[in-house]
Amino acid sequence: MEEDQIEKFVAEYLKKKGFKQAEHAFQEERQHQQSKNTSSSSITTNSLSDPDLAKHILAFSELENGPARYHDGYSKFRSWTYSSLDLYKHELLRVLYPVFIHCFMDLVEKGHVQEARTFFNSFREDHEMMHSRDLQKLEGVLSPSHLGEMEFAHSLRQNKVKIKICQYSYDLLLEYLHKTKLTTMLGVINEHINFQVSPGQPSSISDDTEVVTLTGSSQDEATQINQKEIHWGLLEDSLEERLEKGGGLLSDSEKAEGETKEGELDENKKRSGEGAKQGMSIKKVKKDKGASATGKAGRPEANTVPMAPRVKPELTLPVVHTDVEKSILEDLRNRVQLSSVSLPSVSFYTFINTHNGLNCSSISHDGSLVAGGFSDSSLKIWDMAKLGQEPVGPVLQGENGTTSSEHVLGSRGGKRYTLFQGHSGPVYSATFSPLGDFLLSSSADSTIRLWSTKLNANLVCYKGHNYPVWDVQFSPVGHYFASSSHDRTARIWSMDRILPLRIMAGHLSDVDCVQWHVNCNYIATGSSDKTVRLWDVQSGECVRIFIGHRSMVLSLAMSPDGRYMASGDEDGTIMMWDLSTGRFITPLIGHTSCVWTLAFSGEGSLLASGSADCTVKLWDVASSTKVPKTEENKGGNTNRLRSLKTLPTKSTPVYALRFSRRNLLFAAGALSKSV
Amino acid sequence: MSVVPKEAIEVVAQSIGITNLSSDVVLVLAPDVEYRVREIMQEAIKCMRHSRRTSLTSDDVDNALKLRNVEPIYGFTSGDSLRFKRAAGHKDLFYIDDKDVEFKNVIEAPLTEAPLDTSVTAHWLAIEGVQPAVPENAPVEALAMPSDGKKSEYTEDRLLIDIKLPVKHFLSRELQLYYEKIIELTRNKSGSVLFKQALVSLATDSGLHPLVPYFTYFIADEVTRNLNNFPLLFAWMRVVRSLLQNPHIHIEPYLHQLMPSVMTCLVAKRLGNRSSDNHWELRNFTANLVASICKRYGHVYHNLQPRITRTLLHAFLDPTKALSQHFGAIQGLAALGPNVVRLLILPNLEPYLQLLAPEMLLEKQKNEMKRLEAWRVYGALLFAAGQCIYDQLKMFRSLLFPPTRAIWKINKKVAITMRKKRKASTDNLMQQPPHKKMATEGTVGVIPMNSMQTDRQGATGGYSTAVGGSNVGLSSMSRQLPTENMSGREVGGRVVKASSVLSQAWKEDMDAGRLLASLFEFFGESLYSFTPKPELSFFL
Repeated sequence: MEEDQIEKFVAEYLKKKGFKQAEHAFQEERQHQQSKNTSSSSITTNSLSDPDLAKHILAFSELENGPARYHDGYSKFRSWTYSSLDLYKHELLRVLYPVFIHCFMDLVEKGHVQEARTFFNSFREDHEMMHSRDLQKLEGVLSPSHLGEMEFAHSLRQNKVKIKICQYSYDLLLEYLHKTKLTTMLGVINEHINFQVSPGQPSSISDDTEVVTLTGSSQDEATQINQKEIHWGLLEDSLEERLEKGGGLLSDSEKAEGETKEGELDENKKRSGEGAKQGMSIKKVKKDKGASATGKAGRPEANTVPMAPRVKPELTLPVVHTDVEKSILEDLRNRVQLSSVSLPSVSFYTFINTHNGLNCSSISHDGSLVAGGFSDSSLKIWDMAKLGQEPVGPVLQGENGTTSSEHVLGSRGGKRYTLFQGHSGPVYSATFSPLGDFLLSSSADSTIRLWSTKLNANLVCYKGHNYPVWDVQFSPVGHYFASSSHDRTARIWSMDRILPLRIMAGHLSDVDCVQWHVNCNYIATGSSDKTVRLWDVQSGECVRIFIGHRSMVLSLAMSPDGRYMASGDEDGTIMMWDLSTGRFITPLIGHTSCVWTLAFSGEGSLLASGSADCTVKLWDVASSTKVPKTEENKGGNTNRLRSLKTLPTKSTPVYALRFSRRNLLFAAGALSKSV
Repeated sequence: MSVVPKEAIEVVAQSIGITNLSSDVVLVLAPDVEYRVREIMQEAIKCMRHSRRTSLTSDDVDNALKLRNVEPIYGFTSGDSLRFKRAAGHKDLFYIDDKDVEFKNVIEAPLTEAPLDTSVTAHWLAIEGVQPAVPENAPVEALAMPSDGKKSEYTEDRLLIDIKLPVKHFLSRELQLYYEKIIELTRNKSGSVLFKQALVSLATDSGLHPLVPYFTYFIADEVTRNLNNFPLLFAWMRVVRSLLQNPHIHIEPYLHQLMPSVMTCLVAKRLGNRSSDNHWELRNFTANLVASICKRYGHVYHNLQPRITRTLLHAFLDPTKALSQHFGAIQGLAALGPNVVRLLILPNLEPYLQLLAPEMLLEKQKNEMKRLEAWRVYGALLFAAGQCIYDQLKMFRSLLFPPTRAIWKINKKVAITMRKKRKASTDNLMQQPPHKKMATEGTVGVIPMNSMQTDRQGATGGYSTAVGGSNVGLSSMSRQLPTENMSGREVGGRVVKASSVLSQAWKEDMDAGRLLASLFEFFGESLYSFTPKPELSFFL
């Protein structure tokens, strides 16, 4: 009798799977056997009627019963997870999300679109908070062909999710799945989840972001990339260093003697001591030792800034004019020392009457020039130094082929700007060169244009990107610039060449923002794929992948010592990253809407962030980075408020922030009445 | 199964001329349409983010379509986000309110004003981390975040800024009406029952706070303009009192505006223009008002009471000032408490009485009015001094009724001091007999006086429980006597031993005695045998 049943199941299975020939063969053989059976005593039957096997086959055929299995299986699994022990609950909850999306995709793949939709809608709320963006993407997937087309789904199917889980949770999970015979779930888990079982206690909840991130690239790849060595130190022979040396304008030969005049420069007291030690010796060993190693060793020092190792520039750097150098040094000497107790002054430039057309804003290093990029393809520059002065001279207008610039005088006098016209699409980004004599703008017409603020004319149009260029940034030394685009690449350019020098490809979605490292050897890019990557400018390789954001990355900033990076996302979360390890240090939570802009103060002690929630927030970098991660988790003070001050504006979202060399903070934004 | 219903697909197909679309095609198309729409919206959201906005506009969708090399949909461009209206009777149905515009009207309409050109303004968002109270910055209320560590700093700022902040201030229509009504009542019908009700409302209603600056400003203005309109002044002072009484109003920031007008009503030279105006009453009323202000806000503004007393003392000590001003000043000081009287009035009593004496005498001052005023002032002084001495004696009530021996002792001392003073004072000889008489009479002399004090306290509605006349007061006193006598004796005994512990108390006691004596010196019999209740002195 049992045997009959088994045979029936096998036949059914073959039928369902469409193995027609096999079915035929099976039928034939079966009949054949039956006829045999009647004559000969069945010896084989005993071995065949193994109850275990029967069960397995039974279960297997049930599995094929249809899409309802997914729904039932998942809901059972879910309710078990929610009622599991508190201690292990959060670990088990992590498993739910990948199971959920893969169940959904399985259903879609098999063509049960209707069921897939019902399944999706009945459980989506569980994951809404953490993964709303992914869910929105997946929601639209309605046919197997979409799955193939959509890169996000594709990458999810290709790669296994890695989940850290403790031994006991793992045992619990397996035991449950076996006991309840939720083979569907078991199948999904086996197929798409890679458990990293760790002995001992379950990990704490705060690790969450690190543990479950469904990135397109496999986590292994990321860790492998993050093994690469990077030299995050400052450039040797930088202006700051020369300032530390005391003389400020000493020639190289003099500098080699390690001449220091301590105490002369009060703003650099703490560094000047190190400068003396530094002299020559460090520089010789730095290359072989590896900067990251030195960095780690130096890290535990609490109250002194660990000496940043120096690196050689990989790019040929432009020569800085002596006069300019003098003025910069003068600024650096007069820099106000900022800390958690001495906060900066903030000067706010408000754009009014923008009619919702302002897309971006940029402020020059000295705060005297403000540029605004508009959706009507225009670019306008205000000279704030001349604000309030009487307009002089008649309207100037220059025509240069397809581009033009004109001075527009305000009706009330004095409020004039220079209008740059040349783009043929909304201007999405603008950046001033360090000296303020050039301006770059990027636009939806996929070009980047270089403008001279002295001549008030368009100099070059850089064509290379194929899609809108979201962001463009001048390098800290000028001359070079980086751009990022909807075409998923970031590119490095120099002002004198119309074609890009490097193309950085690797992001899985739009590259939304780009930022130079202070030593000009690296650029960081933030993307809609929720990762931040660090690229080596010389080789064009990706050297770090920072995973942890839960939505599109909108802004980036590098600390002046080159050690840390801050990135802000669409949800209002700001993350601090350690460049050498590729780990995230701490999230800075406080903003309630998009973080449009981030800026480190001149000496790196403060981070300013500007957001769509109409506030400028000041964060204490020192305390944010000093606390080692492990300690933080144990102490349970992860939500410790490191926000020093919130400066609300009057319904003006903050588009741009810039610390001047003297540490005055400039902010810009457009007054919006709708808020 | 897809959000896009298959009917929609059919309709679209028909609109482009495909009438025989098979249902299978529709079923395949519907989900695909949804997927494409979502794809475009995703790109549109990206465009929105890069335009630094948080609300999606039709421009973003157009840009997203351009990204996909699709012709944008024309005709929906607008600078602002679209305004959707809810369709009546449906919960989830919205539409864009797109009115038909008559072409003729558009052509004939005058040219609209050109939109203002974009400009940039600069202001200080923060100076060394502190936000200055400039109109460009967000109102300070938004600053007071509960979780902020520097909360105390904020409250400090707030007090200061509340006054200066030139933010636009909106008064609801109801409040405006209320304000108008109160002003009207005060001006025209200050005697009516309605006005009394209004005063009650002012004293109790919550939510009047937004009106306080208006009231204070208006009162200050009105008082300076209507110094000779007595009923109006009185009405305004009543309004002030009501405002001060209201527990829901935070009036401290406006006190500095209010005080000058209140003080004016107390020490102004002329209040009202007719002789029938009982400005004395107003002064009394205002004096109590000032006292209540000092009592209530003295601890907030430490310099409030000193400033008031300085002003009053100034008025009191200036002989060129009118007697009515002196009266106001004395009343004001008296209302501030017996200590103020003891410290400020009593030391100046002797010279002042010298000044006042000729005014009071019929032969010296021929003007009836002036004489009357002088008597009023005298009455006020008497009242102040009486209150003071009562307070003193109240503290040492036990010493009021010691056996005659103790009294004798005191009086001896008094006599000695008297003798010393005699050299200075020429009137002393005249005053001596009554004093001696009192001394010999001892207990008898003191008790009536005491009863008088309680009586007067009761009359002025002050503190005393012994309301209802001197008899009750006296009897209650005498009932207490036996026990107090015991303690009194004890104290007396100790005093005799000159115990160092109680020497201080003794000294006070001596002061009280001396005070009493010197007051007798000035007021003579009227202080003790009299019945110079203030009420009476008014009708002298």
